[in-house]
Amino acid sequence: MTSPTTTVGAPIKEIPENDFFLTPSCVLGAVNPGTEVLISRIYQFLGLRWKAAGDTPESQCTCCTGILSHGDVMTAESTLLVVARLWSIAAAMGFRNISTACVTSFAIHTECLRMYDHEPSLAERVDRWLQEACGRRLQIPEHVVHASDIVYRYRNALAQAMCYRLTEKKTGRPLRVVDHVGCHYAKVFPDKSVGGTDYCQVLTAMIRAWGGETVDYPERRHCCGMGFRQCMIRPNRGYTMACVLKKLESMEPWKPDAILTNCPGCNVFLDKEQWAIKELTGAVYDVPTLSYTELAGLLLGWDPYDIVGIQAHTVPVEPLLDKIGIPYDRSKEWFWH
Amino acid sequence: MTKEAPDQKTKAADAFLVDDQEHLSRAADDHLVAAYERIRDQRGREDQSNTSGDSKSREAPPADRDYPSDPGHPYPNVRRLFGTPFEREKDRRESRSWAERAGGEMQEWYETARTQPCTWWLKNHLVARHAFTGCMACGMCTSQCPAAEYYEDYNPRVIIDVVLSDDETRLVELLKSETLWYCGQCGSCVPKCPRENNLMALISSLRFLAQLKGYHLFSTRGRQQYAARHLWGGNLWNRACSLYFRNVAADDHPDFGPRYAKYESEVDQQMTRVGASPDTDGQFGGRKVPPETLDELRRCVARGGTLALWNRLEELASEEARKLGISIDEYYDQVRSTG
Repeated sequence: MTSPTTTVGAPIKEIPENDFFLTPSCVLGAVNPGTEVLISRIYQFLGLRWKAAGDTPESQCTCCTGILSHGDVMTAESTLLVVARLWSIAAAMGFRNISTACVTSFAIHTECLRMYDHEPSLAERVDRWLQEACGRRLQIPEHVVHASDIVYRYRNALAQAMCYRLTEKKTGRPLRVVDHVGCHYAKVFPDKSVGGTDYCQVLTAMIRAWGGETVDYPERRHCCGMGFRQCMIRPNRGYTMACVLKKLESMEPWKPDAILTNCPGCNVFLDKEQWAIKELTGAVYDVPTLSYTELAGLLLGWDPYDIVGIQAHTVPVEPLLDKIGIPYDRSKEWFWH
Repeated sequence: MTKEAPDQKTKAADAFLVDDQEHLSRAADDHLVAAYERIRDQRGREDQSNTSGDSKSREAPPADRDYPSDPGHPYPNVRRLFGTPFEREKDRRESRSWAERAGGEMQEWYETARTQPCTWWLKNHLVARHAFTGCMACGMCTSQCPAAEYYEDYNPRVIIDVVLSDDETRLVELLKSETLWYCGQCGSCVPKCPRENNLMALISSLRFLAQLKGYHLFSTRGRQQYAARHLWGGNLWNRACSLYFRNVAADDHPDFGPRYAKYESEVDQQMTRVGASPDTDGQFGGRKVPPETLDELRRCVARGGTLALWNRLEELASEEARKLGISIDEYYDQVRSTG
């Protein structure tokens, strides 16, 4: 049973309440693995029914080919087939709702659905190709959501279970948290995001539910600059760094306590390029950059290192823990700039 | 025919890891592939397995309790294989043979499309013909394009203007230019276009065409696509993901700083600690995917016609390397580091 969820003034997005097949993220899995594992922990904590693979050696999950697609080395038809295979596995496991760990995956899955709507007979062709390729059938899912949609939906239930709030322990001040929503979540298919492109609520609603204060600033919706081929092919990475600097400069007057993300690439580059920016320009920002699962895990009282994995971050997260009053064992972690 | 003793087979397989291109090119396809798979699928000792870093907190549920096979079984050779000349040569051979036996109608479509005019592509490519319906030159796409701000000579409206012109000469010039490769595929333009064009998708489609026709060789950024084919394509073909965790090496990412360098030096332990699966069975980051899943994935990739592009990129790269008097691996290193 699904019911729409909404915030005032925001378009309604249907987010199912249970039964999710979770597809993995290449970037999270490679660079910030704790964030991805945390999705499964949160699902289990909420008592949701979920799976991340089939139950045979040939039905394990693969990536959606999003990076190859946006890196222009994969045909649309191959992407359609790879995604259709994932949907087939999900259906075989009894799941009609796809939840993606990655926002690019979310856009890729959604784009596949749109193509079936717009291109005559494409579904029949893909079904035939899928059968020829691996004996599976095209099974269109009922819902495709991003994992942050689910945490958004259950933000109040999580808030009630949280040991900590997004407030400064000493003063009670709500912490100022910048939301950075992944472009492929809110821009490519605005009607499939909570709140659309410019007034996206998926992360700000979490911030408010968990006790924090949201920040609006001029470059709030500017891309982080990850740019696929721009960040992953080293000579091009200056573009990525410049986009991160632009955002940091723009948010600086509001002195944010943290940046909250829902996209793997944004999480990596908004965090990691802060060091290079400091080295190149002398500008020190040191704004802890967390994914929504990391923040949820910390506020739920889960171990910052063994469960949340904050040690994967370039900007130390410990100062934020100090503000909130979350204890941590310094002997478990090296702490240096 | 005499059978090789198992220790001889192992020795011969390992030798490929240090072989240069000349020696690799002399090996038969099936020998090369079999050797690769033998090394890849070798399991490590049980005591080397990375047990899932379970919760130290009383409240956090375990990560992957339902995984059906032995959790955390290690495959210590995956790290020896990724990104090597051995893997790339093996991939070249497989790309050719899979295209022949598993490509199908889309393989033929893309091979035929390569010979058609660019104007034909705009009307017939699945992505291109849905990405663009008309333009009123409002400039909304350009006004907030992050790439247009950063790259002085980039203006996405130029791309639209060329497409609107339906002029083959202008299209070819565009496909040969650096202009085509500046877009970061963020999609910031998409919600703002009053005509509901998808400029991001149109650019991606044109980039694909540029590579099929070999026009990407005329630009620095276009030439980088050969590196992209092996970086992302190699990961997908061999590890079922676009990015392998050991690709994000600290010395290739000095901008990530010394803290990341330290993390990366301990990456296996750090990943295991949080419940990921570095080079082990498992569901999360770094997992080694069973060969049966890889086989299904490859069949989907091949059936969709992607190997037409990968084979074309190999053919063109090989010619370029020959013209430059360097090996294909030297060419790969060159385009990856400079273009």
